[in-house]
Amino acid sequence: MEPGLLKSADWPLIIDLYFFLGGLAGGAFLIASIANVLDSQRYRDVVRVGYYVALLAIIPAPLLLIIDLGIPTRFLHMMMVSKPSTAIGMDAITIGPFHFKPFSAMNVGAWALVVFSACAFLAALDTFLEHRGGRSMPALRGIVGIIGSIFGLFIAAYPGVLLGTTARPLFINAHWLGALFLAVGASTGGAAIALILSGLGGRTREAVARVMRVTAFALILQAVFLALFLVAVKLSGSAGISAALTQLVAGPYSLTFWLGAVVIGIVAPLMLQFGGLITKAVPAVTVLASLLVLIGGFLIKYVLIAAGQAGGV
Amino acid sequence: MARTLAMFTDVSLCIGCRACQVACKQWNELAPEEPEWTGTYQNHAHFTDKSYRLVRFFEETDDRGQLRYWHMMSDVCKHCAQAGCLEACPTGAIYRTEHGTVNINQDICNGCRYCVSACPFGVVAFNHDTGTATKCTFCNDRIHNGLGPACAKACPTESIKFGFRDDLEKVAQKRVETLQKMGYQNAQLYGADQNGPLGGLNAFFLLMGKPAVYGLPESPTLPQKNVFKDSLLAIGSAILVGLGAVVAFRDRGGKGSA
Repeated sequence: MEPGLLKSADWPLIIDLYFFLGGLAGGAFLIASIANVLDSQRYRDVVRVGYYVALLAIIPAPLLLIIDLGIPTRFLHMMMVSKPSTAIGMDAITIGPFHFKPFSAMNVGAWALVVFSACAFLAALDTFLEHRGGRSMPALRGIVGIIGSIFGLFIAAYPGVLLGTTARPLFINAHWLGALFLAVGASTGGAAIALILSGLGGRTREAVARVMRVTAFALILQAVFLALFLVAVKLSGSAGISAALTQLVAGPYSLTFWLGAVVIGIVAPLMLQFGGLITKAVPAVTVLASLLVLIGGFLIKYVLIAAGQAGGV
Repeated sequence: MARTLAMFTDVSLCIGCRACQVACKQWNELAPEEPEWTGTYQNHAHFTDKSYRLVRFFEETDDRGQLRYWHMMSDVCKHCAQAGCLEACPTGAIYRTEHGTVNINQDICNGCRYCVSACPFGVVAFNHDTGTATKCTFCNDRIHNGLGPACAKACPTESIKFGFRDDLEKVAQKRVETLQKMGYQNAQLYGADQNGPLGGLNAFFLLMGKPAVYGLPESPTLPQKNVFKDSLLAIGSAILVGLGAVVAFRDRGGKGSA
């Protein structure tokens, strides 16, 4: 690829923010659902906080997308238009005004966002009613938990696949971005839950420790997938791709990448965790580690997208 | 589908007059733009939301820096048989016409710009005034009324030829052979082969040098080919994360021991 001729979508910061919040919501939902399945009573704080976090994080998502598109009704075009064209792509399905395009990550992502938002709402509502002394509906929560977890993980991962299906040199041979973004979703989702649980007092100590274990594991995956991403891009190297990679690791984005995404986002929180401090769930350290994970989780998405979009026209 | 239409741009015949560029602007009512200094006669540096045809100028030098060949090439949307922009489009605004060309329905386009970054040639441009993506329409209105594209009509040297794809392929093949007999060993077709990259380009070219000389990718790929591999890796990641969470929350030796 000759990057000099390629154009960039120039997605602004609010899209990075959407990718961050979507991943966080999906990760939090998954953790809450697994805690719910394994022991809904013992982990009720994790379940409740997790589902609330998922809902709160996903509410701004469509708003951010609408702001980017400029005209509110345009968001609907992602899924429906009054008169769809024929021949709109590989394996595209059109039913009435609705269309589904399996090879367009953005189209599939929009559909997934609808399904996940519904699940996040139902799960949070059920948890809320139970907390208010009402009766929980375990069957409903179970089903919503499974569907929502699948779609939540999809919301976390699809932006990576979306970037990987552009012609941008940094992304086109990268392949690991979906896997990486999913891990970031899990780590930031876990960090957000742990952060809030830490504020709820001593009774959540065991729950915080378990959530932080998930977060730490996701961080390790994050490190592995990031390394694999760099190797895959490096090995695929035409001149244009090498130049794009240099932008990220040694060029104008290198400080944000190494300090923000790697040190703050992965290395420092893992060191806190393995330093044995988190396992004892010292609240201050948990709060610090969680904040670092959240900051780093945003920065890793931001810096990859910024470096990938730089260069060319 | 009707017989596929195509444009064949023969770089060896281009005189760089830019009549195609002007005709395109005029027919499609594209607003004027500030000229920019690109170091050559070329204006603009790249396709814009208001320039769908673009005559590119390249100076090829030999080892001693002496001018060897002055390339002029009228560039345009390639109307790929496998089009990255079309596959990326989440709204279905980008569609394939019955003539095999690729067009953007401006009423449906929602301005997401995914197509802009998915085009392997940097053709699709974003119009900030309308908030939609734009590119060469293959003069969709003209070809549906028995006229060729405005650029082909205006070209004084017939460097841009319009017609049925199968006919033009034969014309192009013959032309390459003629040029090679004349001693232009680097003369080659770009995008004419329907078994080649992107399933062939419905706006294909005869180049007088390697594609790289013209800033074109040697073998462009369809970005959406990555969907399977990228998704499988993401699913693997999902399974690992799920298992990790189950292990972390599984009971180990009763309450309070964690």
